[in-house]
Amino acid sequence: AAAMLKCGMSGSQVKVFGKAIQALSRISDELWLDPSEKGLALRSVNSCRSAYGCVLFSPLFFQHYQWSTSVKVNENDSKTSNLNCKLGMKSILPIFRCLNSLERNVENCRIFTRSDQCKVVIQFFCRHGIRRTHNVCFQESQPLQVIFEKSMCSNTLVIQPRVLAEAVVLFTSSQEEVTLAVTPLSVCLKSSSDEPMDLTNSVYSEMFVGPEEFDFFQIGVDTEITFCFKELKGMLTFSEATHAPIAIHFDFPGKPMALSIDDMLLEANFILATLADEPSRASSQQSLCLSQKQKRSDPMCSPNNNSKTGKNVTSKAPGCILRKTAPKRLYPNETQIDIPVLENCGSPIMKRVNGGDISEVPESSISDTEEMPGSSYLRKFSCMFFGAVSSDQQEHFNHPFDSLATASDTEEDMNNVGCRNSFNGTAANYFCII
Amino acid sequence: FLFQEKIITASFYNWVSAMVAKLAKICTLRISPQTLNFILSDKVAGGGVSMWCELEQENFFSEFQMEGVSAENNAIYLELTSENLSRALKTAQNARALKVKLTNKHFPCLTVSIELLSVSSSSRIVTHDIPVKVIPRKLWKDLQEPTVPNSDVSIYLPVLKTMKSIVEKMRNLSSHLIIEANLSGDLNLKIETELVCVTTHFKDLGNPPLASEDASQDRDPEQMAEVRIDIRKLLQFLAGQQVNPTRAVCNIVSNKLVHFDLLHEDVSLQYFIPAFS
Repeated sequence: AAAMLKCGMSGSQVKVFGKAIQALSRISDELWLDPSEKGLALRSVNSCRSAYGCVLFSPLFFQHYQWSTSVKVNENDSKTSNLNCKLGMKSILPIFRCLNSLERNVENCRIFTRSDQCKVVIQFFCRHGIRRTHNVCFQESQPLQVIFEKSMCSNTLVIQPRVLAEAVVLFTSSQEEVTLAVTPLSVCLKSSSDEPMDLTNSVYSEMFVGPEEFDFFQIGVDTEITFCFKELKGMLTFSEATHAPIAIHFDFPGKPMALSIDDMLLEANFILATLADEPSRASSQQSLCLSQKQKRSDPMCSPNNNSKTGKNVTSKAPGCILRKTAPKRLYPNETQIDIPVLENCGSPIMKRVNGGDISEVPESSISDTEEMPGSSYLRKFSCMFFGAVSSDQQEHFNHPFDSLATASDTEEDMNNVGCRNSFNGTAANYFCII
Repeated sequence: FLFQEKIITASFYNWVSAMVAKLAKICTLRISPQTLNFILSDKVAGGGVSMWCELEQENFFSEFQMEGVSAENNAIYLELTSENLSRALKTAQNARALKVKLTNKHFPCLTVSIELLSVSSSSRIVTHDIPVKVIPRKLWKDLQEPTVPNSDVSIYLPVLKTMKSIVEKMRNLSSHLIIEANLSGDLNLKIETELVCVTTHFKDLGNPPLASEDASQDRDPEQMAEVRIDIRKLLQFLAGQQVNPTRAVCNIVSNKLVHFDLLHEDVSLQYFIPAFS
């Protein structure tokens, strides 16, 4: 039996679904359809792994929702695999383009796909008996996901989308990055630029918003984080469709931040990397660490897919992480780092275990935001820091830049997706998420 | 450093700057004790188009302070990207208070501080620092008010929106346009290409009273004064007019220049388009 997804929604649900796709298209050109018993997750990761988005539609969102994994039984073992379906945004975005007219004209929308076919069928049943069918080819690829422990963040703000929208108009669309600065008394959103002596023609804008404008305001630590503006706008347009407040979870610069919407029928999370705070002002944008769903015994993906993903990580990640010169010091032992996230995960240092697997992350450490389904057949591997995992820590010390992380072609590295990090003397610049 | 502060209560300022932004990408803001001017003086680069926009500061600001370079040269000339200013002012649509100051934050800026009243009745403070270049005194002579030429014909303009939609369509056919008018209230917009000629006639527009009596007696009222201009420049001018002005006059100097003289309530705008050479 093949892995399968079959779901249906009404015209107004199509609008929300389409808005989710549009929001995720701000992150990257590829979209994963990832069904599970929790619902249908749409996932997207940008090429330099500095932004990740996921919108999870609960089964209750749909008029009907069915999914299954495929099970292949052979002599010793049974392999189960999910629908590993990756679509190009270029193919799927035009289908969900004029959402207002879709909402008006579409009575019903059905989405159907099977892992043994190579396409996703999207059908719109419209007024006047018109039926529109789109066949979109997909690529078999395991979705990447990021787990982020939102409740561990020291700072949480919940705000109505309208307020954020009013702040966002201050900046031009060419503004690349914005900075959110918070103290217990005020919140400021401002334009950020790399150098203070930016002599180009750009306007610097800032807006102060008082705590009373937030639905929820908890600032544990004064901080200023800088992140990509485009991705914020993406989340904002989606929130306007759901009318739900946006929660912002964050800590210190360098640690990723989460923008999320949680309403009864869906949950959206955008995890964005933030600029690390460098005394030297050279900024480095750290990549998110991603985990790839893996099967217990055998990597699911064909070498083809993995290498493709691997290539993505290797070729793009360096480009994004650069700009940083050699770190002053490396911490061989990550337990020194005071990052709440780490406390959850067994041993923070990834060691190579027999068979080339990364040490397993205990189930209990998995955050509740993106829970993995009961993992008898699925196991998540997460990896943190320092390049390719190696049991020889000394190696890292001497060659901090050698290994950017990668999922490579070779058997033993296949399970690794890691990130490179750098530390300076004072704070951990890396962050990552398990 | 030269310091100036103004607090604006009228939001009128917004559309003025929006209009300027459409007309000139980079313009000069001249600040003097009585007036504020937006100047575009593009002799070579803009193909000779120039613009002079003037407003009396007391009509707009509840508080206005400035100090020029010296007592004799009591003015400040700043060069800025007009879109930056208009965008900053756009956020002040519903402002409770707006302040504009010339500041120096690593480089000279026009700092616009806006106090917004939000729905939850708490106020938000928005600040924009717009980088500007202070123009040295030796360059001021190029930025003086253009002398209004002795025109051959002066005529009131038709509804600008109508004119704009006509010129937009003509633009698809030709890159030049002839604008001609006479003292009998007739104005024509003409394009002539190899394949086609199109003329739009406006009648009964009326002519403003002439300055000198001699000119009116000498000239045949039916005789057209014409000038051929670059159509894009005309279109750019018309695109900047969002609202119909209180008064709009077109002055034509045959084969030399067309001069548009508009009055929008308290703001006067003059726009000069030279003949296409």
